[in-house]
Amino acid sequence: MLRRRRRRLLAGGVALLLLALLPLPIGDVYTLNLLILTLLYVGLSQAWNILGGYCGQISLGHALYFGAGAYVSTLLYLHLGLPPSLGLFAGGLVAAVLALAVGWPCFRLSGHYYAIATIVVAVIFYLLALNADFLGGASGVYIPFKGDSWVALQFRTSKLPFVYLALAYAALVWLLAWIMEGTRAGFYWRAVKDDPIAARSLAVRVLPSKLVAAGLSGFATGVGGAIYAQYVGYIDPDSVLAMPLSILIALPAVLGGVGTLWGPLLGAALLIPLSELSRSYLGGSGHGVDLMLYGGLIMLVALWRPEGLLGLFARRGGAGTHAGTA
Amino acid sequence: MSLAAVVQMLLSGLLMGLIYALVAAGLSLIFGLMDVVNFAHGELLMLAMYATFFLWRGTGIEPLLLVPVVAILLFGVGMVIYRTLIARALGVRANRGMVQIFITFGLAIFLQGAAQFAFGGDFRSIGHSLLANRTVAFAGVYLPLPQAAAGVVCLLAFAALLLIARTEFGRALEATREDREAVALLGIDRDRIFALGWGLGAASVGVAGAMLAGFYYTSPDVGANFALIAYVTVALGGFGSLAGALLAGVLIGEVEAVTAQLFDPSLKQVGVLGVYLLVLLVRPRGLFGTL
Amino acid sequence: MTRLVLAALALLLCGARAEAADVVIGAIFGLSGNAAQSGQDAKMAMETEAAIINDAHAPIPMLLGQGGGLPHMGGAKIRLIFADHEADPQKARAEAERLITQDHVVALIGSYQSATAATISQVAERYQIPFLSVDNSSPSLSARGLTWFFRTSPHDVMFTQAMFDFFKDIGAQTGRPVKSVALIYEDSIFGADSSGVQRKMAAAAGIKVLADLRYRANSPSLAAEVARLKAAGADVVMPSSYTNDAILMLRAMHDIGYQPPAIMAQDAGFIDQTFVNAVGPLAEGAMSRSSFALDAVASRPAIPQVNALFRARAGKDLNDMTSRELVGLQVLADAIDRAGSTKPEDIRTALRATNIPGAQTIMPWRGIRFDQNGQNTEANPVIEQIQGGHYRTIWPADVASAKPVWHVGE
Repeated sequence: MLRRRRRRLLAGGVALLLLALLPLPIGDVYTLNLLILTLLYVGLSQAWNILGGYCGQISLGHALYFGAGAYVSTLLYLHLGLPPSLGLFAGGLVAAVLALAVGWPCFRLSGHYYAIATIVVAVIFYLLALNADFLGGASGVYIPFKGDSWVALQFRTSKLPFVYLALAYAALVWLLAWIMEGTRAGFYWRAVKDDPIAARSLAVRVLPSKLVAAGLSGFATGVGGAIYAQYVGYIDPDSVLAMPLSILIALPAVLGGVGTLWGPLLGAALLIPLSELSRSYLGGSGHGVDLMLYGGLIMLVALWRPEGLLGLFARRGGAGTHAGTA
Repeated sequence: MSLAAVVQMLLSGLLMGLIYALVAAGLSLIFGLMDVVNFAHGELLMLAMYATFFLWRGTGIEPLLLVPVVAILLFGVGMVIYRTLIARALGVRANRGMVQIFITFGLAIFLQGAAQFAFGGDFRSIGHSLLANRTVAFAGVYLPLPQAAAGVVCLLAFAALLLIARTEFGRALEATREDREAVALLGIDRDRIFALGWGLGAASVGVAGAMLAGFYYTSPDVGANFALIAYVTVALGGFGSLAGALLAGVLIGEVEAVTAQLFDPSLKQVGVLGVYLLVLLVRPRGLFGTL
Repeated sequence: MTRLVLAALALLLCGARAEAADVVIGAIFGLSGNAAQSGQDAKMAMETEAAIINDAHAPIPMLLGQGGGLPHMGGAKIRLIFADHEADPQKARAEAERLITQDHVVALIGSYQSATAATISQVAERYQIPFLSVDNSSPSLSARGLTWFFRTSPHDVMFTQAMFDFFKDIGAQTGRPVKSVALIYEDSIFGADSSGVQRKMAAAAGIKVLADLRYRANSPSLAAEVARLKAAGADVVMPSSYTNDAILMLRAMHDIGYQPPAIMAQDAGFIDQTFVNAVGPLAEGAMSRSSFALDAVASRPAIPQVNALFRARAGKDLNDMTSRELVGLQVLADAIDRAGSTKPEDIRTALRATNIPGAQTIMPWRGIRFDQNGQNTEANPVIEQIQGGHYRTIWPADVASAKPVWHVGE
């Protein structure tokens, strides 16, 4: 058990190193943009995975935490001058508090009632943001460009800083998941997920362990939202709070392998380039071919590898087995 | 506000609520039967609306008469979806709940793309029919006939669904829901019952779509306008409860109408969703939830 | 190596017909997703104008209407590369960067949704490439001190000013002025901008705002919203809505027996043929601001030929949006031609010196001239009214083809 955990950490370190070297030979902005988005979604999806995968609470409202992080860090920067490099932690904290506030009443709900309640809460905040003039309402918020800076997380045309920022983000969320796998809370999550009633009889404190998962997941998602806001330089409710985003955040983990360390990485590495490339090269036709391809792929993977694409590797006795079986 | 205005508001809410209830009925039925939430439900509605539109344009037949045709078409679509996707999704060993959610999400995206591919992005709407743009007025209260007809058809559809529940097939449905293993021993083909359940669920959304096409517009993403309300209706009424869906639909229609009247109309959905969350705090399984 | 082969192939393919190198322009619109139709229409408008500039055809009486490429650049052809932003600001940004860095476009043009223009303009500023906004109407875009941003189209302040100027004129003419309005607008950047300006201008003109209703776009029903409009009973209902909601709104009005004395729409859904087809007689008499007048043939002789070419591609007439998109490319191509260069800095200088009289285009505008914010100040809008199932220009008088039907105060 311990040795396996150490081996995983080592594999994580190797992956990090390889990914850190990857962008160096790439000079092309479009590919770097793809890499940034993919890494961002690796982190976001791993964040979702902590609650949705390890703990088994299928949240379909993570756009709320993403948007909270984006708005909080942006507004703190614009109104109070707090640099986004610090603001992203503030954004993460607010997102964590929101996640706890949503989780506390909603964790009593089971199965589909929980999933739908998370959608509903996120949609309520989306609608309120559209109508909230102090958040810029539907017009959104611009982040003015004031020159290259690591403190303000702004770079004129260079993409490399954001590649490494996104990489650091993805790596830290991965590390968080790795750490939690080994803690008592991580053990409780698996118990809660596998059989909540039995878990309760084993004196697992169900609600607190779910709340820990929600708080960590919300925090990490919020930080991702703040990074996104700085990267794009403009946010509005449709791009950071809307319902489709919740699905996008969950999808890589689901298709790659829920409740695993490597699932979100694998899923994002497949999904994000595919959706970006199919839009760039097929979407222009306007015939919906890109949507058919995307939807078809989701159905195919879900049916063909319900445990996630990671199962392809596990079969050959490779690195990624289910956390639940560890 | 005058009395006529108050009556008008409640009437509009009621008519819209009946539509919500009918859209939600199929979703509730399928969930009650096999614990599956169909996230492509809005897209089934969209297919039904396109079917009505094109049948009307192609044949000139009165849309009201097309209701049974569209219902039968959608019955087939539901069966096909069950056989090709859902049956397999129910059969997987790992992550069943999750596979089922995301497979229907994938289907929703696929169907939207397919509609865009086949019909283009333009808004379609039925320009003239027996009822289109007809209204009867009484003492300052107006009753638009297409919506009124939809309300009547909705009540008839609910009556039909409740009747079906009393037939042998209905009892088989009930038994399958209650105890999946036992029915196999009784010689009931569970797979067949599930497929018929999907057909029936899709057919009822077909009825809703055919009625809706008479006064609403149709586009590839029109399903999204109704889908969220449909999930909330089902969850509010209690998953699997038909009577719950009917009551919840009407309640949602009324809450929406009253919110839009008293507050910023853009917040009317917030009113609906807020009421839903409040109910959920008191009754975690909805108004009539039994499961 | 592969790149070399590809380049050689490209040279072989193009070399046969083009003497001068093509001028490559990046066009970014929402070609798929929710608002795909608008993007597809924009694409066809752009392609129509590119064909007018590039191909050999009977001369059209407007700027660059003679065909055969850009005259000052040895007959160089305009080549458009389209990119799809799906109405998502993040994707608009990524596509703008891709066009600039991979396809080496000399200028960008787009983009319909104002939120996408917000990020495209930021990219253009950072890479120092001109961005010509052809159809975005949010006033905030030209109020951010950007130096690579140009907009040929009027924005919501100019559009709304035209409505209130019309109210003043028609009030003086008929002796039945507008005393009150009711605003109804969707909860988007479009609705927020439009209603914000309308509120201010109504106050300035001493017109009462009896209802101020923000509604949820794509709602299942607008019955309650319309009931509040009816209760308000204003002289003019002023909607800012897209096609689907416009259809729903007029039907809901009819459902409760409400016919406002006048409807004055902020374009969008109310200027769409789909809308007229869907609601038929219910739309009769509805007015909208527009920047295009299909019927202004007398003063804009190029319209019939250009419209015929567009119709051959799109199967429909030019409308307010597609005409602005088409003319936007004409203005950009003219600037590149005058610059005689594809260097972004030269193109920007030429754009700044633009001074095109309206008669050289298909637009009823005074002309095209940019102020220091890159905004065209000569784009005066028109008011159209649906009469007998067709859009008729009713104001200003010099381009009008029909008399206004005015029921306010009767």
